[in-house]
Amino acid sequence: MQPNSEQLAPPDSGMRTFLRLLGFLRPYRRSVLFSLAFALLAMLMTVSIPWLTGQAINKIYQGDKADLKLLAGAVLLAGILRGLLTVIRRFVAGRVSLGVEFDLRARIYAHFQSLELAFFDQQQTGQLISRATVDLQAVRFFLGYGLVFLIQALLTITLAAVAMFLTDPLLAALSLAPVPFVIIIAFRYGRRSRPALQEVQQRVAELTAEVEENIAGVRVVKAFAAETRQRLSFDYRVGRVFDQSMVSTRLTAFYGPFIGFLPQVGLAAVLFFGGRQVIDGNLSIGAFSAFYIYLLMLIAPMRTFGMMLGLSQRATASGGRIFQILDRQPEVTGRPGAGALPEGGGRVQFKAATLRYPGASRDALHEIELDVRAGLTVALVGGTGSGKSSLVQLIPRLYDTTLGAVLVDGADVRDVDPALLRSQIAVVNDDPFLFSTSVRDNIAYARPDASDAEVLEAATRAQAASFIERLPDGFSTIVGERGLTLSGGQRQRLAIARALLADPRILILDDATSSVDASTEQQIKAALREVMAGRTTFVIAHRLSTIALAEEIVLLEDGRLVAHGDHAHLLAESDLYRQIVEKGLPDQVFLTRKPAESETAGL
Amino acid sequence: MSKSQRQEMGLTRREDVRRRLEGTSGRGRKLRGLAGLMRPYRRRVILMSTALVIGVAASLAPAPLAAKAIDGGIIPGNLAVLNLVVVVYLISVLLVWGCSYAQTFLVGWVGQRALADLRRRIFAHLQQMPVGFYERRSAGVLISRMTNDVDALNSLVTDTIVTLFQASLTLIGSVVILLLLDWQLALLVFLIFPVMAVASLLFRIASADAYKRTRETIGSLTGYLQETLSGVRVVRAFAQEPAHRKRFSVLNESNRSANMTTVNLNAVYFPAVELVAALAVVIVILFGGMQAIDGKVEIGVLVGFIAALNGFFDPITQLSQVYTTYQSGMAALDKIFELLDTESDLVDAPDAIALPQIKGEIRFDDVSFAYQPRVGASGDAGAVKTALDAVSVTIAAGETVALVGATGAGKSTFAKLVARFYDPTSGAVSVDGHDLRSVTMHSLRSQMGIVPQEGYLFSGTIADNLAFARPQASREQLEDAAKAVGAWPFIELLDDGLDTQIGERGAMLSAGQRQLLAFARALVADPRILILDEATANVDIHSELAIEQALRRLLAGRTAIVIAHRLSTIRQASRILVLSDGRVVEQGDHDSLLALNGAYSDLYSDWAKQASAA
Repeated sequence: MQPNSEQLAPPDSGMRTFLRLLGFLRPYRRSVLFSLAFALLAMLMTVSIPWLTGQAINKIYQGDKADLKLLAGAVLLAGILRGLLTVIRRFVAGRVSLGVEFDLRARIYAHFQSLELAFFDQQQTGQLISRATVDLQAVRFFLGYGLVFLIQALLTITLAAVAMFLTDPLLAALSLAPVPFVIIIAFRYGRRSRPALQEVQQRVAELTAEVEENIAGVRVVKAFAAETRQRLSFDYRVGRVFDQSMVSTRLTAFYGPFIGFLPQVGLAAVLFFGGRQVIDGNLSIGAFSAFYIYLLMLIAPMRTFGMMLGLSQRATASGGRIFQILDRQPEVTGRPGAGALPEGGGRVQFKAATLRYPGASRDALHEIELDVRAGLTVALVGGTGSGKSSLVQLIPRLYDTTLGAVLVDGADVRDVDPALLRSQIAVVNDDPFLFSTSVRDNIAYARPDASDAEVLEAATRAQAASFIERLPDGFSTIVGERGLTLSGGQRQRLAIARALLADPRILILDDATSSVDASTEQQIKAALREVMAGRTTFVIAHRLSTIALAEEIVLLEDGRLVAHGDHAHLLAESDLYRQIVEKGLPDQVFLTRKPAESETAGL
Repeated sequence: MSKSQRQEMGLTRREDVRRRLEGTSGRGRKLRGLAGLMRPYRRRVILMSTALVIGVAASLAPAPLAAKAIDGGIIPGNLAVLNLVVVVYLISVLLVWGCSYAQTFLVGWVGQRALADLRRRIFAHLQQMPVGFYERRSAGVLISRMTNDVDALNSLVTDTIVTLFQASLTLIGSVVILLLLDWQLALLVFLIFPVMAVASLLFRIASADAYKRTRETIGSLTGYLQETLSGVRVVRAFAQEPAHRKRFSVLNESNRSANMTTVNLNAVYFPAVELVAALAVVIVILFGGMQAIDGKVEIGVLVGFIAALNGFFDPITQLSQVYTTYQSGMAALDKIFELLDTESDLVDAPDAIALPQIKGEIRFDDVSFAYQPRVGASGDAGAVKTALDAVSVTIAAGETVALVGATGAGKSTFAKLVARFYDPTSGAVSVDGHDLRSVTMHSLRSQMGIVPQEGYLFSGTIADNLAFARPQASREQLEDAAKAVGAWPFIELLDDGLDTQIGERGAMLSAGQRQLLAFARALVADPRILILDEATANVDIHSELAIEQALRRLLAGRTAIVIAHRLSTIRQASRILVLSDGRVVEQGDHDSLLALNGAYSDLYSDWAKQASAA
């Protein structure tokens, strides 16, 4: 794992991000236009109701019962029409919103799946997940609902303003005078609160990191009786979150009510001036009432407007974080027209292969020259950081060489479709990862279409069938993080079965025999012999007995190939190898790396 | 829930509806829990409620004022009354402003303070739970209590609850105003009440399940995402990206269809409320208008009535809108209280004494121990297996004992019982004659040092980590410890020496360096009893020797229990305990054990065979 974290490109400017976010609506533009049109019509109805009411008040004043009934009917009609329009609009807009959410999520997931491994080495999983969940939530909230509400609020304000100007321009101008101020202040509020909120988020993230560290390191905390001190440190972080939340609360407390207050001034103007005009006979009582109702009606949209601006600010910030991921281009991709591997038995050649991890100051592998003929078993020997794992990761092209090339059966791995290349290579790790699904699906991972008989055969050859049959639900038992926990040796045998079923040309074993006791180890050895037969095998060896499985040995030190040959040859030629054999790889006499299930947590 | 699902669960339609209804209520305990969080701040809560009530009352003023202005001022042409109304109105507006400022600020303050308290409580609770608690739960779940669930509560306390009260008060206030303006007309309008009530109830029943399903589907979606990110190596190695994309798409789709139900419900419900509101206006215009023409009702009252209807229907919509956040907030509260209600099964006895300065003699008297099954795992093969079986051993002060045995033989369990990470199922562990259950954990562990296999380091500087057990240690002491274990040479080479930031979990250091720092940390603590789980990882050929020497320095002069993996370490021990299936089967030094020709000699010859196999 490389500690240096890759810097993602800085996010775009707010406006650009905002426009790009709108781009997610493109596939739904007809629905969007449709729902906008319906929203406009529905708003026309909404705005017409106070006007009709005003007319009705005039008729009442004049004592015209017939016209009154007509107007009441008109209000009812407007109400029904608005209802129907809104139902349709909501059905359409709801589908758009869910569609956008679906697309966004699928796109981020697919993008994660397309990025090369090196990317994940440099990012904290938690960070990636938070972008795919929390940030996505903010974006979809805005694109799904916020935008509609924002447009609705603007439409209401505009249409009501038009209706008011048509009734009485002067009074309209007077009562709507605060509106521009509301908008200016709402924008200013957004500008000031965004950094404050981001700082809150930042401090919450620090707090989360501290919780995570304390949970992961709980044994150390307990062992040194440091609970109290850790708690004090956590309390300090909680205090920091509180302080910053209050900064943001103060802003909300100041601006929120202020934004609500301004439109009320317009209402006062209507009462004061409008009332006088009615008395002077320049304004009908109905128009006065309509004005009054209009202004009451406007209070809610103005508040919504401020809230939605905040939502859009958050969505833009989150959108920026999402685009940072989406804009990161995958670096390991198949060339156009890349085909399958040529026929062959799995010959692997390294030609001056050099690998330097991004951000690292020195090469992890330096000009490796190695030719492994088909069917050979090679042991890779060397200390931590000598480059054993890096070397094998080049073969399935989990990483690309910085310089030089890797050839499988004569083809440069970069000229082969990565999926087809990897289907010919299987990896068995020392700490195999199992998915939270059935044993069967884990074994058939590389070939989901495998028959039950094939799965059973692979399990049998991997010495796993007997323990699988003793599991509560046999092959249907759910394992992995959210299922039954298996011991290290059991997981390893499942991983071997998984590799067997994949039936690859090339097999990579990463220290696969280091974690179990003697009798299990015998079983695993037998399983390994099964799976190695007839394939080119690379074994990352940590002990002499594993080295004994190999026909050739490659000795690595500091990313360089220092010796290569069979056991006798190396004993004669290499001081380092002699030293290793004499001292032993760590003399793992009786032990284990991964203790049994109940002890997994170690000390 | 579909008909078939209902039948599967053996529910009649009636029972199903009742179940859903219950799902929407029964919040008593949680609300009491919430109230408990607010209790320390009750004066501010009272202040806030006062501001809320006054604010809501003042915000209801426009409707009756309109009635007054029209009937008392405009129609009779009385300017004085009109001016008075404007003044009263302005006062009410200023009141609303002031009250909502106070209320927003206080809600923020109390809400954030309560959340901070809750965070501290959860953390303190977690800290106080024994190690066994952590072994039975996934770290991700515990972390999400502190993050996702507290977040969900955040919106509950800052937004939802206030909206809930505000909307309810506005509703009640509007009803009162309508009645006061004209009770006959008001009662006529209230005819639509039953319609609204039935509609709201239907909406709640229908949406309870939908929202639950939405939460569940989003949960499994996130879980799947998390898993494929952790397993990204396997995914890449087997080129299974398309399969995962397909599966994700299925989950994504089920989330969409769960959401679709709520969208459809909302699409019908909210316009329906609006339609009913329009209906009310029609009633007022038609019946009120007729009466006004007949001179039974004044025109201003009608206008006030229509204005007040706004205050009547807005809260109904608002209440339905906050329903989602309310539900997820309550679900989060449930999970948090469940965590807080989990009692530690390993606490200091009420009469526990502080362990005095110890010499370091450890005794196991007939100790047996069995692990509890993991929480959430569907049955566990090794759940009831006894990890230690009637072990009786005495370790003299200052002795170094190596624990040797195969996986699952009980080595780690033995060590954990000494540190009292667990209490024995039967028998007793004692130090200097004190049963560990009779002393405080703090006094025990502060005299004990533990070096885990993976030298877990905290982010911060090297100095912070070395001084972890003794924050008051001087720079010289830290430097001496680092020198003693051979960590000084590499520390010296770092730009900031002891003050170098080592990153999350010491990511900036190599495995060998982390190991040496863990040794130095234990040395700074200078414990009487040291427990060491030796690393098995092949660090690197050149630093093996350095570690071997560091170990020698660390073990000197204290009681040490070493879970040993290296022959060189085993040879350093004055006594070797050979464990098998939770029993001590042999003990003695290397040579005498070999001479026994028993379990130890078997293990040794296995190794020798391996070594020579090459």
